[in-house]
Amino acid sequence: MAQSNSSFPVKLYIYDLSRGMARQLSPVMLGRQLDGIWHTGVVVHGKEFFFGGAGIDNCPPSGTMLGDPDSVVDLGSTEVNEDLFKEYLDSLAESTYSGDRYNVFEHNCNTFSNDVAQFLTGRKIPSYITDLPSEILSTPFGQALRPLLDSMAINPGGNNITGQR
Amino acid sequence: MAEQGAADPVNNNNNNKPEASEGTIIKVTVKTPKDKEEIAIAEDASVTQFKEEISKRFKAKQDQLVLIFAGKILKDGDSLSQHGIKDGLTVHLVIKTAHKATDGGSTSASSSASTQVGSSSTSSPAANPASTTGPAGSGPAPTQTPNLMSGFGDLANLAGLGMGSANFMELQQQMQRQLMSNPEMLSQIMENPLVQNMMSNPDLMRQMIVANPQMQQLMERNPEISHMLNNPELMRQTMELARNPAMMQEMMRNQDRALSNLESIPGGYNALRRMYTDIQEPMFSAAREQFGNNPFSALGGASDSGVQPSRTENREPLPNPWGPPNSSNPSESGGATTGSTSTSGTTNPSVSNPLGINPGSLGNGMFNSPGMQSLLQQISENPQLMQNMLSAPYMRSMMQSLAQNPELASQVMVNNPLFAGNPQLQEQFRAQLPVFLQQMQNPEALSVMTNPRAMQALMQIQQGLQTLQTEAPGLMPSLMTGGIPGVPTGGAAPAENPASSPSSATTSPAQQQLMQQMLQMFAGGGGGGSGGAGSATTQTPEVRFQTQLEQLSAMGFINREANLQALIATGGDINAAIERLLGSQPS
Repeated sequence: MAQSNSSFPVKLYIYDLSRGMARQLSPVMLGRQLDGIWHTGVVVHGKEFFFGGAGIDNCPPSGTMLGDPDSVVDLGSTEVNEDLFKEYLDSLAESTYSGDRYNVFEHNCNTFSNDVAQFLTGRKIPSYITDLPSEILSTPFGQALRPLLDSMAINPGGNNITGQR
Repeated sequence: MAEQGAADPVNNNNNNKPEASEGTIIKVTVKTPKDKEEIAIAEDASVTQFKEEISKRFKAKQDQLVLIFAGKILKDGDSLSQHGIKDGLTVHLVIKTAHKATDGGSTSASSSASTQVGSSSTSSPAANPASTTGPAGSGPAPTQTPNLMSGFGDLANLAGLGMGSANFMELQQQMQRQLMSNPEMLSQIMENPLVQNMMSNPDLMRQMIVANPQMQQLMERNPEISHMLNNPELMRQTMELARNPAMMQEMMRNQDRALSNLESIPGGYNALRRMYTDIQEPMFSAAREQFGNNPFSALGGASDSGVQPSRTENREPLPNPWGPPNSSNPSESGGATTGSTSTSGTTNPSVSNPLGINPGSLGNGMFNSPGMQSLLQQISENPQLMQNMLSAPYMRSMMQSLAQNPELASQVMVNNPLFAGNPQLQEQFRAQLPVFLQQMQNPEALSVMTNPRAMQALMQIQQGLQTLQTEAPGLMPSLMTGGIPGVPTGGAAPAENPASSPSSATTSPAQQQLMQQMLQMFAGGGGGGSGGAGSATTQTPEVRFQTQLEQLSAMGFINREANLQALIATGGDINAAIERLLGSQPS
């Protein structure tokens, strides 16, 4: 068989969950400027993968209720093909990224995107995204809201939950 | 080439070296979806060798292993160094399930360089049950309710609002609409443990207030506000008051009672009077730097405080409570020295009321404070802001509801943390409420407020009056407060002035009122207030606080230096200074 050193582009879709409100209100409410509440998904093999309250999910790119991303970061390309990737995701879904492991601060969609990006391309996602929880928690407002937020899960809603039995 | 032939059926590479080669040993982290292990391997080892180690550690067969590094799949023929795998780096591993292994084994034997993965997928896609577990698992998954914001719980509405428009004003309006349509919502909000949690955290409150750039401006111009904010005791008290209206009323009653008790002490009333006079001096002088009184400052301030129900959203600073109005209460409640009452209300232009704070124009007295002045300045600088505030649909309905329910309105206004430190002000405010509300409801008044030029004209009038007052104190003592309210109240309360337009102080009925009040206010000691204020700016703190210092030493605080410090810190407020000196709450 011919060796398939296929190369699949990998992109990171970044969404601002607050639709601009964070940029406006954060100085007032938090005391520091946050440009957005970031949600991310990894797009590879023609699908967008993300982690939500229900587990690892995928949908056609820009197919969540969030619509089109606010920005797209090119993560490079990967040789990992779809099957291998699915295996990988299956493993993840059984272990570290099952639905009940979701925590909006510590183990959220961006954590997942970061891990997947590193798996696929060896690169991490931009740090301003992964730093967001600590930025919020470093403000008294964030601390005060923490109990409320901890109970929340962000679920943009794809249709395909990986590993769901 | 017999190095690992036995243990490596699929190995057909040609550049394998013995594991115990001369190369240095590096530690590479191998990460699976579930696990992570550190594997020591020779730096110049091959992928195959690496996989050997891995298969031992992870207890998987080598052909099940798929190694990925930097987005590339490591083929057996490669070497670690070829891919740049060095000490401390992380390599990703996927252990394929048994189904795939057979395919991988069969196809990789046919090619020396094909990756197991690639081969398995290209060779027999139909015979890859393992790979279908993924898609199969994902296919019949139930559709998720694509409602991101429902996950936010209570914030759902807020998010809905935010999503609709990025305009802060609109957002505020919408919240207001909700609040107004549901009067219990305010109490619900207050009872919300989250809100209470927030409010019980003085640091958080202070930070939020301070983070408001307008507030920062205010604080720069008026250090007392920062003092107040920095006083944790006060903040805590304020927040408790805000949370507990009953407690607040109680406290205010106590304060009033204490105050009236104080008056009955011989010399106490004079002390109070002098204290308030001296407080007014710095206030007044500071106020004169900015704008003069503005009749619609009452409206402006009231409408500002009128947005208080949305306090959870809007943290606009409100006027400095330590303004001249302090003086009017003791005279009202004590009733000791009262001058003639003004026509428009219950003013007591006594010596303790240098500015002749006419309750009918309470706002003016309060708005002499620099805080209000800055607010007015902002308002005039930003006519759009006023326009927005007043034209917002909720404003009218709120004012109407406030007017109908003076109790609620008073609670709302006095719940303002800035007021909480000054119960006299609260009292005054409450007394003024009906007048306020009437004024606010006067469409004439409203239209003037939204008219920036009219506002500016009014401010100029105020300024002129203030200047006049200092130049000719005998002439204009009452003008400050008495005259100006005559203008707006001309449109509202005094029925005999239906024609006096709020934007003009030149209608004769208003002027007559003006003159009358001027005369009254004269007795109120325009000289005391303005004259003293005139010289206050040039006096050292020691001189300014001389009376207070005397008081303090009479009370037994001998340490003049400490007294002075305390007085400076509290801006001449004897009570607060005593607190500072004692480190505890007196009486």
